[in-house]
Amino acid sequence: MPSLTLKIERLEKLVGKELNIDDLQYDLQWIGLDVDDINEQEKEIKIEYNPNRPDYSSPEGIARSLKGYYNLELGLPKFQVNEGTERINVSPKVRKIRPFVVGGIIRDIDLDEDQVGTLMNIQEALHWALGRDRKKVAIGIHDYDQVKGPYIYTTVKPEGVKFRPLHMEAFEMTPKEILEEHEMGIRYAHLIKDAEEYPIIYDAEGKVVSLPPIINGVYTTVTDKTKNLLLDLTGTDFNAVNYSLNIIATTFADMGAKLETLNVVYDDKTDEILKVPNLSARKMQVHIDFINSYIGLKLTANDIIKYLRKVRLEASTTKNKNILNVKIPAYRVDFMHEVDIVEEVAIGYGYQNLTPVVKEGGFGKYHPAEVFANLSRDIMIGAGCLEMVNSTLSSQKDYEKLGLKFDEKEKIILSNPVSEQFNTTRENLLVGLMKNLAFNRSAEKPFKLFEVGDILLLDRKKDNRARRELHLASITLSEHADYSEIKSLLDHYFRTLGILDDIDIKPILHPTFIKGRTGEIYYRKKKIGLIGEIYPQVIINFGLSYPVAAFEINLMPFFKDHEE
Amino acid sequence: MISINQKIPIKSEHYQILKKLQKINKPTEARILSEKLKIPYEKLMSGAIFSLHQVGLANFKEKETEIMSLTPEGKKYLNSGLPERQIFNLLIKDNRKEVKLLDFSKEVEKELNFPKKIFFVGISKMKKNRWVVSSKAMGYEQIFVSNESPEKTDEEKFLELFKENNSLPSSKIPKKLLDASNSLYKRKLLVKEKKMLRIIELTSEGKEISKENINLIEEEIKLISSEMLKDGTWKEKLSKLKSYKVDALGPNINAGKYHPLTIIINEVREVFHSMGFEEIKGPIVEEAFYNFDCLYQPQDHPAREMQDTFYLKNPSEGKLPKKKVVDMIKNTHENGGNSGSTGWGYKWSEDIAKKILLRTHTPATTIRRLSHITKNTKLPMKVFCVDRVFRNESEDRTHLAQFMQIDGIVIGKNLTLSDLIGQLVEFYKRMGFEKVVTRPGFFPYTEPSMEVAVYSKKLGAWLEMGGSGIFRPEVTYAWGIRDPVRVLAWGLGLERLALLKLQRNDIRDLYQSPIQWLREVPY
Repeated sequence: MPSLTLKIERLEKLVGKELNIDDLQYDLQWIGLDVDDINEQEKEIKIEYNPNRPDYSSPEGIARSLKGYYNLELGLPKFQVNEGTERINVSPKVRKIRPFVVGGIIRDIDLDEDQVGTLMNIQEALHWALGRDRKKVAIGIHDYDQVKGPYIYTTVKPEGVKFRPLHMEAFEMTPKEILEEHEMGIRYAHLIKDAEEYPIIYDAEGKVVSLPPIINGVYTTVTDKTKNLLLDLTGTDFNAVNYSLNIIATTFADMGAKLETLNVVYDDKTDEILKVPNLSARKMQVHIDFINSYIGLKLTANDIIKYLRKVRLEASTTKNKNILNVKIPAYRVDFMHEVDIVEEVAIGYGYQNLTPVVKEGGFGKYHPAEVFANLSRDIMIGAGCLEMVNSTLSSQKDYEKLGLKFDEKEKIILSNPVSEQFNTTRENLLVGLMKNLAFNRSAEKPFKLFEVGDILLLDRKKDNRARRELHLASITLSEHADYSEIKSLLDHYFRTLGILDDIDIKPILHPTFIKGRTGEIYYRKKKIGLIGEIYPQVIINFGLSYPVAAFEINLMPFFKDHEE
Repeated sequence: MISINQKIPIKSEHYQILKKLQKINKPTEARILSEKLKIPYEKLMSGAIFSLHQVGLANFKEKETEIMSLTPEGKKYLNSGLPERQIFNLLIKDNRKEVKLLDFSKEVEKELNFPKKIFFVGISKMKKNRWVVSSKAMGYEQIFVSNESPEKTDEEKFLELFKENNSLPSSKIPKKLLDASNSLYKRKLLVKEKKMLRIIELTSEGKEISKENINLIEEEIKLISSEMLKDGTWKEKLSKLKSYKVDALGPNINAGKYHPLTIIINEVREVFHSMGFEEIKGPIVEEAFYNFDCLYQPQDHPAREMQDTFYLKNPSEGKLPKKKVVDMIKNTHENGGNSGSTGWGYKWSEDIAKKILLRTHTPATTIRRLSHITKNTKLPMKVFCVDRVFRNESEDRTHLAQFMQIDGIVIGKNLTLSDLIGQLVEFYKRMGFEKVVTRPGFFPYTEPSMEVAVYSKKLGAWLEMGGSGIFRPEVTYAWGIRDPVRVLAWGLGLERLALLKLQRNDIRDLYQSPIQWLREVPY
């Protein structure tokens, strides 16, 4: 989850209330924040917020919710956006690569160090949460007084222009060079490099403002002398760029800056000017009986309006007594369905105030695989075996240690595991038990171990191309471990199940086991497993120096399986 | 000093040894004594000698000595003769006086089965002993016999000392054979070991004491044998039965035992069963469709990326269910479908949904149950899944790439958030946590969503225990489950619970368990 460090003093200023760090720790959870760490000395509190609330990426955003929670300010937060004259023309050429741009003018900023930090944090949070690492949204913040409108958002050939990019101010570079040599270019090259032309924003004099989503030009570098800002947000998803703009713009407004609209003109259609930011509330309708039946309460229209105002939404009654009109602030991105309003009402009411309702009933039902697994465990434990539980993940190396060939076409293969430890999944339990012996080689012997668990096999007939099998395997290691010892265990298992007479063992050759001491296990003529003394080289491959014997059987024929 | 007039208490078995020592009547090395008396060395020293020493009847002196014994190769030559003797005997066979060295080496290899290295050691010894001389006058090396009946060498004499004894202290070796012993040592036919010798000797009291001055203590017995029970002698033996230190730990036994994870998983199962839930299982190798798309995770969601999810190279692509179902999911993602939602508003791709992966969470399985619900299904239906899930992570003390997840869902009419909290409170109460708190949370497939924390008395702290919520209409409508039928869901990880219960702090111990820990861990 994304996180943020809050300075209590700054939060107090924003909320307009003295805040006690202990109370705050308790209160924050009810507006959906997790307290991760508290620094009493620095008077800081580190919180985590959910990815559906990128508006919580600033103390300003959190303060809005807290004011509602403390009943200091209810309903929609108010933001003033002045009509501006600045304009950006959008060329049809961007449609193929990065079709959308929004932005705005921010005037009279006077930011302290903390606020600058906050802006960087929001920018980063939005690039990740809504922007999918700049793919859907990239944000540029510029010193407005260094460039001159109207601006144009268009495309350029990889070597069609030269400009000085941020962080490498000394060099005049083409977009192509930036993608190959600039740190940010290298990092984000994958987003545009396959296109014939790259997106670019020029000012009226042809200065490069930005090469989105990579880097800004150097002219518009923001310094401590910057008074007015130009924002540009480009991307592939209009809602995502627009929400991101709203979150940044509302934060600037809460920091005391003045917002001014930017006129976005697509394809020279001057009669369809898009004025952004547009911070007017989104509207939804919600049914009162739906809310009540979802939460398990009997709230009136007024109750619901009260609770929605508390979480900074607005609601009003309509002619239909069951329907409310709801207004959602422009910085909220998480409303797709009426149920999203239901959750807001529940939060306004307080999860902590809901009374648990216990409805009894239903018939419990055991899964046949688990019933049989537990029966098998009981039998093996009764025979003195210690149960092991091993990972499903396995590696080619482990298979080869067993003397088995590893053909990628016949195995389940992971695409790109971060750890070399595993690149496949187990198709037998024996491999895990051998690793148990190796891991415990210095523990007191003898070892008599077993495992009951699922293994995985390719199965082209199934939709998911693989199947589970429940297996039982047992292994013994001691000075005297041999075929007859492990055979006694196997016999005991089948005898206890009452099916010893249905079992046949036929001698076979197998690379994991010693010739003349290996058998294939059959249940009513169906092959179900293997038993034998482990081949000495296999024992050595696992770093062991005692004789080892083992068996493994497929338990699927013994119960009626059911998979969803 | 003990007055001879006092009766000295001695165990009867030790008295037997005292009598034998009196008979031997000279200082004797303990190992030799143990061989002579046929009593194991440890028993002799810690039992008899120690007891006799304590009552002033015997003494022992300790002396560090070098002990010599033959290596297996040395023992072989003790019987067959040293290589030089064997080779020489072959050389003078049939009155031979000279041989070509090269031919002879082949003959020796054939007849005596000596490798080249031993052959040349033998030849050089023969030259040194002046049994033979060699010449290269002909352009090749020849060996001539110079002493037809050589006497035993010192090395041979030394070897013979071991005919009678397996090992000998260096002090017993005649001085003139010491050089020979060094030479055999270098030839790796002899080993030298430092050993502590204990020389046992009776004190003057020990030599003189007779039975009248001894108070014989009858021996203790360790157990009542079957014989004693049959022949009735147990009655007189019972008083001699050794008493045990009853509070001492018994010796370890290597018993069969459940793995603690199985115990905990079965406890969770019982809680679900007792609340009327049915256990279900689903594929571990799963299609992205069920793992993500059915759970309304947009296809560009960061959690779906390679660095978090184990996608498979083989098999890489699965088969989607009926077109009708796939279209429902597609529409839900793109525009909300019939769920009343706006949807995510992007172009949904079948190819991405077909990708095969290792299940990242158990809702992938519980969601499959929704496809079985029809108009005739009796509600409420309660099912749960406890099974393995996978994340593409490097393993360390707190992270596993594979772990257990627990998921429960209730499908029923008019279920509410208050019902969900009720289920959670009841579930965690039965799991042993009295206090449960739910607070706002977020999961892509539930709304409202809640995070769950429980109070652990053991730790005196609140623990984050997982998530819960009501499945979004975007999730249920695709399967024909429409309001007011709703699905309550909650899930939690098992390992956290297990570590807490087992007081373990390395999560890897759960899947690569130290056997000694398994043998000792209480359930």
